Amino acid sequence: MGIPMAMTIHKNQVTMATIASASAINPREIDNTADIPGRRAQLITGNQTYSSVTEMVCRVAEEPQPMLWYVLFGFSSITAVMFLSLIGYLIISGVGIWGNMNPVFWAWPIVNFVFWVGIGHAGTLISAILFLFRQNWRTSINRAAEAMTIFAVICAAIYPGIHVGRAWLAFWLIPYPSLNLWMWPQFRSPLLWDVFAVGTYASTSLVFWYMGMIPDLATYRDRSKSPMKRMIYGLLCLGWTGSSRHWLRYEKAYTILAALAAPLVLSVHTVVSFDFAVSQVAGWHTTIFPPYFVAGAIFSGFAMVVTLLVPVRKIYKLENLITLRHLDNMNKIILATGSLVGLAYGTEFFIAWYSKNQYEGFTFMNRAFGPYWWAYWTMVSCNVISPQLFWFKKFRTTPWIMVVVSIFVNIGMWFERFVITVTSLSRDFLPSSWGYFRPTLFDGLMFFGSFGVFMSLFLLFCRYLPTIAMSEVKGVMSASEHAEHLQAELLGGGHPHGHEHH
Amino acid sequence: MSDHKPKKTIGNRPPRAFGWMAEYSNEHKLLDAARKVRDSGYTDTDAFTPFPVHGIDEALGIKPTKLPFIVLCCGLTGLSLALLMQWWMNGVDYMYIISGKPFGITPASIPVAFEMTILFSAFSTFLGMIALNQLPKFSNPVFTNPRFDRATDDKFFLYVNAKDKYYNRESVKELLGGTQPDSLDEVIEDATPDALPRPIWLTALLVVLAGLIPAMIILNMRNGFSTAPRFHVFFDMDFQPKKKAQQTTTVFADGRTMRPQVEGTVARGQLDEQDSFYLGYDPSKLAAVANTDGVRFVAAQTDAKPQEPAKDAVGSQTPAATQSPAAAGATPAPALNLPWISSLPIEATEENMKLGETKFQTYCSACHGFAGYGDGLVHKRAEALAQGFWIAPTSMHIDRVASQPVGQIFHTITKGQGKMPGYASSMNAKERWAVVLYVKALQRSRNASDKDVPEDKISSIEDLTQPKTEAKK
Repeated sequence: MGIPMAMTIHKNQVTMATIASASAINPREIDNTADIPGRRAQLITGNQTYSSVTEMVCRVAEEPQPMLWYVLFGFSSITAVMFLSLIGYLIISGVGIWGNMNPVFWAWPIVNFVFWVGIGHAGTLISAILFLFRQNWRTSINRAAEAMTIFAVICAAIYPGIHVGRAWLAFWLIPYPSLNLWMWPQFRSPLLWDVFAVGTYASTSLVFWYMGMIPDLATYRDRSKSPMKRMIYGLLCLGWTGSSRHWLRYEKAYTILAALAAPLVLSVHTVVSFDFAVSQVAGWHTTIFPPYFVAGAIFSGFAMVVTLLVPVRKIYKLENLITLRHLDNMNKIILATGSLVGLAYGTEFFIAWYSKNQYEGFTFMNRAFGPYWWAYWTMVSCNVISPQLFWFKKFRTTPWIMVVVSIFVNIGMWFERFVITVTSLSRDFLPSSWGYFRPTLFDGLMFFGSFGVFMSLFLLFCRYLPTIAMSEVKGVMSASEHAEHLQAELLGGGHPHGHEHH
Repeated sequence: MSDHKPKKTIGNRPPRAFGWMAEYSNEHKLLDAARKVRDSGYTDTDAFTPFPVHGIDEALGIKPTKLPFIVLCCGLTGLSLALLMQWWMNGVDYMYIISGKPFGITPASIPVAFEMTILFSAFSTFLGMIALNQLPKFSNPVFTNPRFDRATDDKFFLYVNAKDKYYNRESVKELLGGTQPDSLDEVIEDATPDALPRPIWLTALLVVLAGLIPAMIILNMRNGFSTAPRFHVFFDMDFQPKKKAQQTTTVFADGRTMRPQVEGTVARGQLDEQDSFYLGYDPSKLAAVANTDGVRFVAAQTDAKPQEPAKDAVGSQTPAATQSPAAAGATPAPALNLPWISSLPIEATEENMKLGETKFQTYCSACHGFAGYGDGLVHKRAEALAQGFWIAPTSMHIDRVASQPVGQIFHTITKGQGKMPGYASSMNAKERWAVVLYVKALQRSRNASDKDVPEDKISSIEDLTQPKTEAKK
């Protein structure tokens, strides 16, 4: 539906051209990115019904996995095992196996921590903030993005845990009446705020993700043929029936959680930025850090969602649910946040010059033209220049281009954290203590290994859990159909829909 | 209508009927039917839908939930708990002094307070929703019919419970039948409830038991009594590949880890031990003195014992007989017999006298008093407190001290005596000699006669004493 009308009534060249090129290759790849005045944009394509949505999503878990899944899972689980073994080796030998050395004691572990926490921002942002703004397009992507958030936060939480030196005593971060210490944590330290912020974010995101999954787990339960699966999904969905009384409280709970998670998601990277901004080091001690970090986190998070979802929709044939319009919208957010980050880079330089603070001025000249110039310009080209491609619709709607750009964005965002952490520490106020940081093989392997953990968890998620929030997609289908119905009645025209129950 | 065939009987009775369930193909039909059922007066009704259908609460007459109120209460609890925690932990129980920042609730408390508020609210939202919905509930009458499985897929169900006060089996069937449902079924008790398979029970039991093992081991280790050394999971730095003093080794022939001084070498400060300027006695004459090292050691030990309080102290009931002779206050400590030097190694100049006076007033006068009578401020305060264990500082003007050679006084200042600590760390050797000079001057001035005053100064002293004698008259 809709498409022939769009072509006849609104002569949108781009739309027609895209349909022509895309549909020749893939019949499910339908361009729904055109905005038609007076008409609500289609969120899912291909004349879907409630049961076809269920069918499409459940098929992912019910049908045998493609060969590619086994190849990817084999590779990422081996990498994850390597990562865990390296953590064991680290605990036995000590953090000396990393390149952390005077004057750069905060090196890759904190860079990787901030990188992963940043990626973990997209999920809750999509679930909470877009929910509060009534952005219904989020329903197709929120589940996978939330899952990605949880897995990224798991990867992030590993790094400070193993960086504390005696990793088996990492629980000392928690305020508890200790018989060994006889003391409490220092509540004026941003590092302790981090414990609370990341801990709250991880647990709240987990609750949000799990609560959102309960109705879909019930669908999985009800479709399961084997009693074993039926029992496991039945336990996981807590005996959900879809009762209207339950739905009423569920929806209320979802709205409250969204309202709670929205400020939370902004607070987490704000607190992470305090780790730097509250210190006295030139290049860190700036008030721009909280908004700049949050923008960067959303930027990298959305990039990771694009990186993951473009292959997922292709492999599991979900193009009708995760449509080009969804990808287009995400790429617009990447463009907006990428430009915000670029603005922040510029502002930092301006303030360094405008403040006439010689240390600040030196730090920024050193960033761009000092020994780490290569890291700085990698960051700028990946973060600021590459997303500018998304000004063009062609690039925003071509899946392989957006995957390439999103990978560049994440490379750039890793370098951003590297540049901030390492350039400021390696050359601080005292030239006699300057140094040059060199990572070791273990730094590299352990960063690579964290991707193994992340990918293994994500692949298991696709295999066993509902990848798309079916109940929310159906709810939005019902609502938009209702709206169109009303609109058609008001205009006195016929109903444009071809649903069999109308 | 259904292909599902429940058993005819459960035991001897027929299976119970829980109510009627009507199925619809879309939410609009469900809403129409729900309104009809509500208008007929039924209240114990429910709808089962794959997604939240808007307007169903009004159509069924469902009251709004009190969940937001619960969340508000829990959020406020989280906030107060966070503020209390920070105030008590860092402001009362363990006060960190950091750059003079204030204690208690400050702007630095905001992040943790905010996160705790969110944490409590989020968990109360989720757990509150679960609790109000009375979940988890794995056994539900509506699960008995496989048709109902589509309630989570694409079908919409309306249910009238048999417990409704106006419930009548036939009239409800008629009412629901009039709403054009796709199917209409009576919800019948399941006669064959699926028991949990035995292997699952066994596995669960084994997992629980296996999970207890580490806890039991830890509990045993923490509370048990054992002579074996502690079991170290993590070694920290408790065991280091190095030797400590008094340990044996196979590296050296003599088997000792502590090494003697290498012949022909001089350790830093070692020559001072051979110089009477630093010792107060002449080490070359040490051999001539009858005292052996052992005798001197015992003398030093005896001397170092604290003396008991005076036996006539008020309230003291300790019999005198129980006291050891060495500790008896009246018994003077055995004199240390060393070849003391009897002449000062520094010049008795004005400058040295001033130095000795300054140092004496700084270090000695607190106990010994400015004039050396053992009546310093500390002593007076201790007397006032009358705690019973204070040993009065020695007066420098009693015969035993006045007759000591300068070397012995120097030795006392350097090494200490009885309760008095050594002052070698506070004053260098020259300063200590200057103090000796000053002490000698004090002693002489306190036991002086007219003859000690030079002829040309006598007149000036008389001038000073004149008003006093006149006053006495």
